[in-house]
Amino acid sequence: MAERSTLSLGELGRLVLRTWPYMRPQLPHLVAWVVARYALELVFLFATLVAFDLLNNKILLGEKLQHDQAVLLQLDDSYVIAPGAQDVAAEEEAAAPDDASLQDVDSAESEAEKGFDPAVTMNAEQRRVVRNRLGVIFAIATVLGFMLLPTIDYYRTWILQRVNQYLRVTMMERAEHLSLRYHSHARTGDAIYRIYQDSAMITSVIERIVLEPVVAMGHVVFSFFVIWLFSPILGGLYLAGMLPILWLVVWFTPRLQMRSRRARTTNSALTSRIQEAFAAIRIIKANRAERVMGARFDNDSRIALDAAFYLRVEFILMRALIMVIAGAMIIGTQYLMAGWTITESPTFLAGAVALVGFSIWNLGAFQAAGSRTEEFAEAGGDLIRMWGVIQDLGVGLDRAFFLLDLKPDIVDADNAVPLPAPIREIRFERVAFGYDPAQPVLKGIDLKAQTGTITAIVGGTGSGKSTLMSLLLRLYDPDAGTIRINGVPLAEIQTESLRAGVAIALQQNTLFATTVADNIAYAKADASRQAIESAATVACADAFIREMAQGYDTELGERGGKLSTGQRQRLSIARAIVRDTPILILDEPTASLDAETEHAVLRNLADWGRERIVFLITHRLSTIRNADQIAFLEDGEIRELGDHASLMSIPEGRYRRYVNAEVEIDVPEVGQ
Amino acid sequence: MSDATASHTSTTHFDDRLDTDTRISNLEVVGILWRALKLVSRARGLFLGKIGLGFIARIPILYLPWLAKIVIDQVLLQEPFDQSEVPFPPHVAPFVAAIAGLSPMGIMAAVTGLLFVLLIFFGSGETWARFSEGEDSATQSENAISEGGSGRSGIIGILETLVHIRMSQRLTNHLRTELFRCMGRLPMTVLDNHRIGDAVYRVMYDAPMLPRMCYRATLEPLFALVGAAISLYMIGYSYGDVAPELVWAAFAVIPAGLCITVPFSGISRRVQQESRAAGSATTNALEESLGNVSAVQSLGGMAREKERIDARSSESFRRYRFVKLVELIVGFTSFGAVVVFGFWAYVFITDQVIDGVLTPGDWGVLFGLGLSLGLTALGVGTFWIELQGNAAAVRRVFFFLDQEIEKPGGGSFRLEAFAGSVRIEGIDFTYPDGRQALKGIDLDLVSGQLVAIVGPTGAGKTSLAYLIPGFIRPDSGRVLVDGRDIEEVDVDSLRDQVSYVFQEHVLMSESIRDNLLMVQPDATEADMLEALTTAGALEFVRALPDGMDTVLGRSGDTLSVGQKQRLCIARGLIRDTPVLILDEPTAALDPQTENALVQALRDASRGRLVIVIAHRLSTIRQADRIVFLEEGEIRDIGSHEALMGDPASRYRRFVELQGGG
Repeated sequence: MAERSTLSLGELGRLVLRTWPYMRPQLPHLVAWVVARYALELVFLFATLVAFDLLNNKILLGEKLQHDQAVLLQLDDSYVIAPGAQDVAAEEEAAAPDDASLQDVDSAESEAEKGFDPAVTMNAEQRRVVRNRLGVIFAIATVLGFMLLPTIDYYRTWILQRVNQYLRVTMMERAEHLSLRYHSHARTGDAIYRIYQDSAMITSVIERIVLEPVVAMGHVVFSFFVIWLFSPILGGLYLAGMLPILWLVVWFTPRLQMRSRRARTTNSALTSRIQEAFAAIRIIKANRAERVMGARFDNDSRIALDAAFYLRVEFILMRALIMVIAGAMIIGTQYLMAGWTITESPTFLAGAVALVGFSIWNLGAFQAAGSRTEEFAEAGGDLIRMWGVIQDLGVGLDRAFFLLDLKPDIVDADNAVPLPAPIREIRFERVAFGYDPAQPVLKGIDLKAQTGTITAIVGGTGSGKSTLMSLLLRLYDPDAGTIRINGVPLAEIQTESLRAGVAIALQQNTLFATTVADNIAYAKADASRQAIESAATVACADAFIREMAQGYDTELGERGGKLSTGQRQRLSIARAIVRDTPILILDEPTASLDAETEHAVLRNLADWGRERIVFLITHRLSTIRNADQIAFLEDGEIRELGDHASLMSIPEGRYRRYVNAEVEIDVPEVGQ
Repeated sequence: MSDATASHTSTTHFDDRLDTDTRISNLEVVGILWRALKLVSRARGLFLGKIGLGFIARIPILYLPWLAKIVIDQVLLQEPFDQSEVPFPPHVAPFVAAIAGLSPMGIMAAVTGLLFVLLIFFGSGETWARFSEGEDSATQSENAISEGGSGRSGIIGILETLVHIRMSQRLTNHLRTELFRCMGRLPMTVLDNHRIGDAVYRVMYDAPMLPRMCYRATLEPLFALVGAAISLYMIGYSYGDVAPELVWAAFAVIPAGLCITVPFSGISRRVQQESRAAGSATTNALEESLGNVSAVQSLGGMAREKERIDARSSESFRRYRFVKLVELIVGFTSFGAVVVFGFWAYVFITDQVIDGVLTPGDWGVLFGLGLSLGLTALGVGTFWIELQGNAAAVRRVFFFLDQEIEKPGGGSFRLEAFAGSVRIEGIDFTYPDGRQALKGIDLDLVSGQLVAIVGPTGAGKTSLAYLIPGFIRPDSGRVLVDGRDIEEVDVDSLRDQVSYVFQEHVLMSESIRDNLLMVQPDATEADMLEALTTAGALEFVRALPDGMDTVLGRSGDTLSVGQKQRLCIARGLIRDTPVLILDEPTAALDPQTENALVQALRDASRGRLVIVIAHRLSTIRQADRIVFLEEGEIRDIGSHEALMGDPASRYRRFVELQGGG
């Protein structure tokens, strides 16, 4: 996996593109969500401007309403400021506050207190009326907000979960379909960590690289627009203030990436360490290695925690520095705005909106513009925080896509046919294979097996016996040569149908945490209880299963911990038998069985296998002897082929030597 | 233990036996909390540091509302300071006195200066070091391990956050190490049930919830209350005379918030627990499926696995959405209450401003203080509910820490020089599930012998071998080592003298060298070579690209079963103990390798006791003594020749079958 060290904007774009297939199914929902958010945002923005004006200038200071505000609040003209009156009044107030007013003299008399001017000022009663009507609007808005905001939030969660669900399943499928090539090298902990963490990561990309920035951008742009309406100078200042912030972001980005990568790698290593130690706990305990393992765990843990810590230090520092700059900008602009308010300077364009009384800087304008600058800084800060999180995401994504991008090694040919039936023969023709091409495990294997026969594959440890069978299952494709079933090359047979036609009892007998019956029927979920029981009988497992507390319904611990190895082995044989397939592979099926049981199992198998092709991989002489043909494997080649008697008759034969090693110091072959 | 975990099986849809109990009483939460708090002493310094910095971080509340008031009243509206009936609180008074004579712009400059100073120390906005997380417990736990934050940024905020992160990390690490250690103390019979190991593994993910709970239960409410107290004090001081109604209302906010949210706590914690249970069921399914990927693949179980995970995953998401829904309802109700309070304040304060009692600046102060009080009330209301989710996770952690640990038999005698003689007298042993494994075993084993334990599957061979290192404790009878009852012997010192090679071949994903050093940290290069040679592993190890430094794949998958087996044997040999027990050491070996190994074991048995559990005749035959077990009883003891010479011997019949007859 190629780990990138930087994440440029272009690469970020590519990442977003790569999440596209997972977003596309939800696209209508995503668009609907963004549109809803923006609409809400704009309505809210405009409403706050009006509210700031009404609350500060009208209710708290008592100025008369704009005409459209009165319409909105359903109030008559006595609440409305006369056209042009505001300017005149402002001038007059500056010049001679006690001068007689120009209009509406009669209503002014009763309330002619300090600087009260009925042309531009409401009386206390009017202010209360405006206050109450605004309160009603607040209430309506609150109720609407209560209903809309959580709905939109819930909608987002729902969409993202659908994406995540789809992703996890895809990843899981991919991971399992990958041939064992990958799995044999990766640590299990790592794989789990990947799927779990990284599928969440891709959802996060959609959330944090697409949705949240889109919303935050909207926020920034709308806020900036309002600030600019109040004063282009402020707008210019804010743009200039962005420069040092952007510089900080550029400086911190590679550092964040580096720290994030380290945090992830160390954390993944720790996860593997924990899981592995737990799998090996009995060995640790028996060997009194608790302290050594504890120390290693502690060490790994410290490294991972330190890495997480330093990533956060970097992140916090970046954010704090940027927020100081943003804070300074807010404080500075407040100073400027205070000056403009004192001199009642005109605003740039805010007065253009008929609903708002912000044609000059006043208390409401100061508050409204101030809150916009805070919003602007906050949304900008959010964008930067997102950028930091995205750096962390980018690293996680490399890993997530690694899994999604892996192509299954084995792909069905376009014209693949189902497994031929009935099967007559399996033929290996000059088959060669190596996990690592430089180190061939099999070199030119020729072998033929016919229905109704048992073929034993014998050979030293590491001679390639299990590999040969993996090729038959098409877990790997041979590097050279062909395997044919009834003359049809394996590569032209549908893999699923092939695997459905082969049952295998593995050397490592994995059991699942479910009932005995379910374990036997694992690969054939529709097997009847009768079929399960007869398979168990063939495998000589029926007797011990019936002795268990709930018989076939006994729950097994994970990996069958409650059973002895021999019992587990017999269950996995039964599991292979119940599938009733034309091909059966038994990989060291009887290694942990005592002679008596083994003998019984083999006898049953011989009866059962009359219509099938059976392969036996084994070391045990007693097992081998019953086979119809024995293939003796050495260094990846079949050295000798034939039945027990014919192979034993080869003087100095390899098989004969092999058998003699077992019986060398033997008491005469008892029982023969 | 196994009973406790198995008893829920029938009652649940999910196979996670630990998370199914979704009930947790308030009393239990208190108990868990108390216990969790005692663990805080592990990070006392950091905890105190966090408290100190947290208090300092409240300072801006003392000033910011008043600065806003001055900006509105004295700067924007240009009112003189003495016009208002509302007194400034004492801590603001000196600042007010200093700027009282200045022009409006002069006052604004002073306020701006003070704001800059506050900005440097306290920044703007809060700090939380949180990275992206999914809607699942695994990623959330990753974040929780290094959780930390502050209500401020700036110098104080950064310091507070860093101290907080370190505190979370230290507590989590301590707890995980404890869990790890606890795992090693579990009796072998419990460990034989692999589910326990996996369960503890998952609990490791719960561990970070402890620092989170400690923080949420102590500091978070503490800081919230300090903030609330400051607000209440300032409202009381400045507005107590002018508008006493405001003071009463402010004091009532928090209790009101509690009254509204407490009734919801029951349902809220129930749905949270269910969501968590479903989450771990998904993890379970994924883990099992991945752990057994080769079996799944070869058995054609893919479609089925996919379906299983699909179902689990969507169930866990469904429940998560349910949690969100309940949260929403609770939020609705409590937020609604705050809004009602807000409306009252809106009407009341504007009235006072219209009547000229309060100024527009007072509106600013009260709005700010009231808002923070309202938010605190919301927080206090949901605080207990949020605690429940954490408490459930922490309960699982404590559940494991409290597991019945292996009883060391009360022995204190340290077995230093062990001659290797073992005497077993009248042993009976019954498995936890009630099956009788051993009946009246008497056996005398001396150093210098290779002893084979033989018998059909399920005869009790492994149980017999488990007795010697004290992995199991017999129901009756006793085991003597060098004439001393192992009940009197310190278990650790006993196990220092006994090596046990298990039937399954588990290797660490590390170099071969590290695998050997794991059990014998001071082994020399020569010791390792010797052990590998004896186990017949040296040849293939040398053939590996990096020799002894080759890093093994998952559970040693890059090696064949036979090779793994030989490495495991080498690992047993390297400890060079007076007693060596091997469970089926040769099952996966070809006859030549097996012969060589058994020969090597014979050599090794000079000067020590080697016990081999075996099925294969070729192995058994070379033993000095054969112990033949059947149905938990010893049927025959003797050499191969002697037993074969006895026509009545059960062993002879066993051998005859093995020969293939």
